[in-house]
Amino acid sequence: MSAPAGSPHPVASARIPPMFGGAATSGAVAPTDPSLAPHQQNGPAQSQMQVPSGYGLHHQNYIASSGHYSQGPGKMTSLPLDSQCDDYYSGLYAVPTQNVMPPSTANQQAGAQQIYGRGPPAPHLVGSTPGSFQGAASSASHLHTSASQPYSSFVNHYSSPATYSANSSIASQGFPSTCGHYATSAVSNAAYPSVSYPSLPAGDPYGQMFTSPNAPTVRPVKDHPFSGQNTAIGHPLPLPPPPSQQHHQQQSLSGYNTSSWSPSGLPPTNDSLTRNHTGSLSVSATNPTSTDSSSSAVPPNVHLPKSSPVVSTAVSGAPSSRMPPTAHHPVEPVTSVTQPSDLLQQKGVDSSSTTSSASPMPNSYEALEGGSYPDVLSSSASSPAPDPAPEPDPAPVPAPATPQPSKMAKPFGYGYPALQPGYQNATTPLHSGVQPSGSVYSGFQQCPQYPGVSQLSSSLGGLSLQSSPQPESLRPVNLTQERNILPTAPVWAPVPNLNLDLKKLNCSPDSFRCTLTNIPQTQALLNKAKLPLGLLLHPFRDLTQLPVITSNTIVRCRSCRTYINPFVSFIDQRRWKCNLCYRVNDVPEEFMYNPLTRSYGEPHKRPEVQNSTVEFIASSDYMLRPPQPAVYLFVLDVSHNAVEAGYLTILCQSLLENLDKLPGDSRTRIGFVTFDSTIHFYNLQEGLSQPQMLIVSDIDDVFLPTPDSLLVNLYESKELIRDLLNALPNMFTNTRETHSALGPALQAAFKLMSPTGGRVSVFQTQLPSLGAGLLQSREDPNQRSSTKVVQHLGPATDFYKKLALDCSGQQTAVDLFLLSSQYSDLASLACMSKYSAGCIYYYPSFHCIHNPSQAEKLQKDLKRYLTRKIGFEAVMRIRCTKGLSMHTFHGNFFVRSTDLLSLANINPDAGFAVQLSIEESLTDTSLVCFQTALLYTSSKGERRIRVHTLCLPVVSSLADVYAGVDVQAAICLLANMAVDRSVSSSLSDARDALVNAVVDSLSAYGSTISNFQHSALIAPNSLKLFPLYVLALLKQKAFRTGTSTRLDDRVYAMCQIKSQPLVHLMKMIHPNLYRIDRLTDEGAIHVNDRVVPQPPLQKLSAEKLTREGAFLMDCGSVFYIWIGKGCENNFIEDVLGCPNFASIPQKMTHLPELDTLSSERTRSFITWLRDSRPLSPVLHVVKDESPAKTEFFQHLIEDRTEAAFSYYEFLLHIQQQICK
Amino acid sequence: MVLLTMIARVADGLPLAASMQEDEQSGRDLQQYQSQAKQLFRKLNEQSPTRCTLEAGAMTFHYIIEQGVCYLVLCEAAFPKKLAFAYLEDLHSEFDEQHGKKVPTVSRPYSFIEFDTFIQKTKKLYIDSRARRNLGSINTELQDVQRIMVANIEEVLQRGEALSGSAEIDTLNQKKYSSESPTFNKQHFLSYLG
Repeated sequence: MSAPAGSPHPVASARIPPMFGGAATSGAVAPTDPSLAPHQQNGPAQSQMQVPSGYGLHHQNYIASSGHYSQGPGKMTSLPLDSQCDDYYSGLYAVPTQNVMPPSTANQQAGAQQIYGRGPPAPHLVGSTPGSFQGAASSASHLHTSASQPYSSFVNHYSSPATYSANSSIASQGFPSTCGHYATSAVSNAAYPSVSYPSLPAGDPYGQMFTSPNAPTVRPVKDHPFSGQNTAIGHPLPLPPPPSQQHHQQQSLSGYNTSSWSPSGLPPTNDSLTRNHTGSLSVSATNPTSTDSSSSAVPPNVHLPKSSPVVSTAVSGAPSSRMPPTAHHPVEPVTSVTQPSDLLQQKGVDSSSTTSSASPMPNSYEALEGGSYPDVLSSSASSPAPDPAPEPDPAPVPAPATPQPSKMAKPFGYGYPALQPGYQNATTPLHSGVQPSGSVYSGFQQCPQYPGVSQLSSSLGGLSLQSSPQPESLRPVNLTQERNILPTAPVWAPVPNLNLDLKKLNCSPDSFRCTLTNIPQTQALLNKAKLPLGLLLHPFRDLTQLPVITSNTIVRCRSCRTYINPFVSFIDQRRWKCNLCYRVNDVPEEFMYNPLTRSYGEPHKRPEVQNSTVEFIASSDYMLRPPQPAVYLFVLDVSHNAVEAGYLTILCQSLLENLDKLPGDSRTRIGFVTFDSTIHFYNLQEGLSQPQMLIVSDIDDVFLPTPDSLLVNLYESKELIRDLLNALPNMFTNTRETHSALGPALQAAFKLMSPTGGRVSVFQTQLPSLGAGLLQSREDPNQRSSTKVVQHLGPATDFYKKLALDCSGQQTAVDLFLLSSQYSDLASLACMSKYSAGCIYYYPSFHCIHNPSQAEKLQKDLKRYLTRKIGFEAVMRIRCTKGLSMHTFHGNFFVRSTDLLSLANINPDAGFAVQLSIEESLTDTSLVCFQTALLYTSSKGERRIRVHTLCLPVVSSLADVYAGVDVQAAICLLANMAVDRSVSSSLSDARDALVNAVVDSLSAYGSTISNFQHSALIAPNSLKLFPLYVLALLKQKAFRTGTSTRLDDRVYAMCQIKSQPLVHLMKMIHPNLYRIDRLTDEGAIHVNDRVVPQPPLQKLSAEKLTREGAFLMDCGSVFYIWIGKGCENNFIEDVLGCPNFASIPQKMTHLPELDTLSSERTRSFITWLRDSRPLSPVLHVVKDESPAKTEFFQHLIEDRTEAAFSYYEFLLHIQQQICK
Repeated sequence: MVLLTMIARVADGLPLAASMQEDEQSGRDLQQYQSQAKQLFRKLNEQSPTRCTLEAGAMTFHYIIEQGVCYLVLCEAAFPKKLAFAYLEDLHSEFDEQHGKKVPTVSRPYSFIEFDTFIQKTKKLYIDSRARRNLGSINTELQDVQRIMVANIEEVLQRGEALSGSAEIDTLNQKKYSSESPTFNKQHFLSYLG
């Protein structure tokens, strides 16, 4: 009883969200390598964020500066209530917007991507710029010249090297910032004198662009008079170097040596951050002692002693030319500056600006709403004086110079004066009928939450009416009295309290969720509520329907670069107002035409304005280089340990099966590197008779034995690749090499990948023991169940992190598959993926024969891994309404500037989280929006931008804040924060912080209700699951103490928390338990002609486990089926295929396909659960009284264990803490 | 050494295909050249000379325009000019055959990025000195590359108007071509190739 919740947190200030931050800051200053973060001058805020101690180990460093972000001096507001316009507006738009129901859904078969506006003779032109059609050549050239003006000007602007040094030195693709002139506000200058942001007034090039570019695209290509004349030259005979001759090849090898090993990599990529150590990586190219065994079938007896690098068995005269050291730095970071920076786009500050005087109009939605502007709100107009302190905010400060308008009113929004009326607005209409029994699960944005469906069964959910003055989510729940706190139906995301039209348009909670669906107006209010504020993102998830837009102009706000979205307001036909910074922008001519309806003059009906999730095909302005091909490199451990575990067979088999399904176009490239104490490359150049193995034994100074035949075109070398994959599993069967030179192998992989970027998949089975990045065992098995200090949660070396940053700079992500039976220091190894936007998979005690369930899981995971969608050279930026600011991102990525995440790869299974703070009070607005833009190169070489926009109401009362809590989002955000806290501070701190999160929020809530009884523990309905989930977190592998937990398991759980999307993370935290021995079709749903039963959820307590039953527990990556001793033989026979309980085998991982109703139901249910997640879970059938049952029972988190509270005890503990 | 190859539509400068910068060249700072190339594409039009060499410091751009498509290559200045143009002609004949008809209809940048595979292969032939010998045939066909106009990329890009026929004269290297008629035009120049 001692440990789990522990004593109250010693430092009062260290509570709830701030508490994580507070400690994080202090913790952050400590350990990291200062060299890691030389100042990056991405932008004013950037340099502020990147405190030297830096991005380092823990993201929460950023939290430090949270205070500094307040926006510039004045919040730009508008003078609405121009009644004339109002009338005009409502008159004009009221009708059309009724149809807001996205037309796309109507016209579209599910599963199809729709391309708008694509196709040859850009139809947009109709009526738009007819003039440009006329003059064929002359007018066209005229257009060209006019168009070129802005380009040259902005390019010059970029080529001044001092400008964006840090930005552009990172090679990724990015938005070249067509408009990005950073205007320097006086404030920022003062704070950052050293950084110069040229404020080219140059007419915003972006603005000019859309005036002309339509025309040229359609112009018929001129007919060249001389066509054909020059085509006569035939193809020269291809003459590949004769690769079969060893000597020859070796020669050319030496040739390359002198010139070609310079730090491969795209020039501008050498991230200054990582500059200092690239040196060490790239001091390469020496002593190529590689032997060239001409046949892959020859087992590596050719190994050279690594101590004698010059010896070469097969090669005469091993070249030993050492490269001049200067060659390592052909590109100094600073010189690489010339490129348009790769920021998603710069936030320009339009110095001349404007907007406030623009006589804005109410949002179109208001018109529908009835346009009632509560007077209350307009009174608070004068925006509070922002901190005068050092706030060089580069962010959208539209008009720093413009005097504050004396009177301001809400630019838009509808009444949300106090709590009740607001909620009354939100009453029921949507609930009726929106919950069709069949397809509820396909997308749950419609599922009502406010009425507290949770209490009702899902099929009844639609019927609830809220006539009570108090919203259901605020109904006080006495936690200690409520015996069954867990609802029997799944908990859905709450629906933000918006009007009906906004609700329909809003982003799906599957992609985008906020912990508070009612955003508090001020930071003070947020502090009072003691709840974490942040976003949970799943930006690249697989979608069945996605509008894809091809258009010459991607319409974005000129000052903050927000993409046009459903929540902007159209002031009139020609202007729209940004919903994030409130700038008024012109509607480009092209946008007036709606390709969907083929009509002109209805900009508000364009797909961009009708869908909160859209994808744009980007123009070449969004590319720093031609879109890269898909490149896949596999780096495989072939030491004795690996061969013994036998993963190679599974991997090679999976690859052979899925070779044709790897995402990519005809340029797709693939390569293989294997390693033990040496590194083996495979020459797969087209034309060879069989793969060639090249061994490099100089692991201290890794080089590539041949530059261009190691990563080969998948289609041209397919036969060789197949040969290799067939041969690999048996090539090392007799190896006695136990060492593992993982670090050097990774360095080689980096060199191979840096010219293009792509994905590296590393398979590792033990602690790396040789060369750079070698690790020692740090785990003391006796401490596994310690209740005190858990050590070594952080990396032992920064080698892997540095490598990851290098890779990230070269658009390469490293994915780690750790298949290990003993401790492998995942805490250190995971860094290779964390910072390169890779992913991490861990298969503890993997063995292909002894552990068949893991082997099967690997096989299924690989299938998903190899064939799932992938995006390359990606960047993601999140924007939010002026007044809110982001700090502390969670997930696998590299933070390049304050809000730009560099993602070398993006995959559909990656989740992210962001913490938010309220820098400036939101009194002038009733709505806030968040926009995520993910720019990536598809595997087909298309540059695309996926944009999600979420809209949420702003509230001013504490009760409203509580009413809008999304408890699942909150718990996931807390889990992320707690991981950071565990690493930066200690596990016990993190645990205390979690407990305090409950204590503080419930006590804050308690103080708001009038008849507060100290004897009861009261929570609002919206928060009633909060204590349960926190308790679940405390018992989760990542955070538990007192129960034996292997260090790698714990670290892996933490990695998952940081990178899993909410929907999967929730199952990890709080598994779902179902009774499955009496499945019925009652309430069943139909999926693809299958009937899927929907048994009610059971609480995670042994009291629910009757001996007569069988239960299924869904833990996300594992399913347990627990069979009670007294389970009916019917079930055992019909479902498990065994005659009786005693005959059920100990290790059962499959359900037989039996032709009985109950078997069919059970399998249908399990298949349905499986299909809902990307990685296939392992199934364990657990008999009561089998040794495996402890695994199962430890997930029953409501029960007491030796080391932890039961749920009820936990509640009492919280209550005690509150009363203190 | 061929460093960068790009193919674009002349009408609007839309890039159609390109070869990733790679291998040993990757250490160099090609970004600047790449953006110069992009700017150049936007400046080209029907009046532009259809064969041109543009000097850019230690590097040289060569391009040809055929059927409304511009084929551009960035080489080291020392790289033989006739090889460069032969290379471009090779690209042209293959590209035209594969994609020529689709060129006017596409709107997405790098719609034919997969042509990269061919570019890479061809490039290898031209930069490999052994293979190069077998390209002997081109020697005769393109012997007149000397007459191709030479200009400086910076000047071209900084000039306000597009690279056009009338402007060519200014940028002609007068010394080198002093013997040429001042009314040198593309018709004239192309007659050499005929």
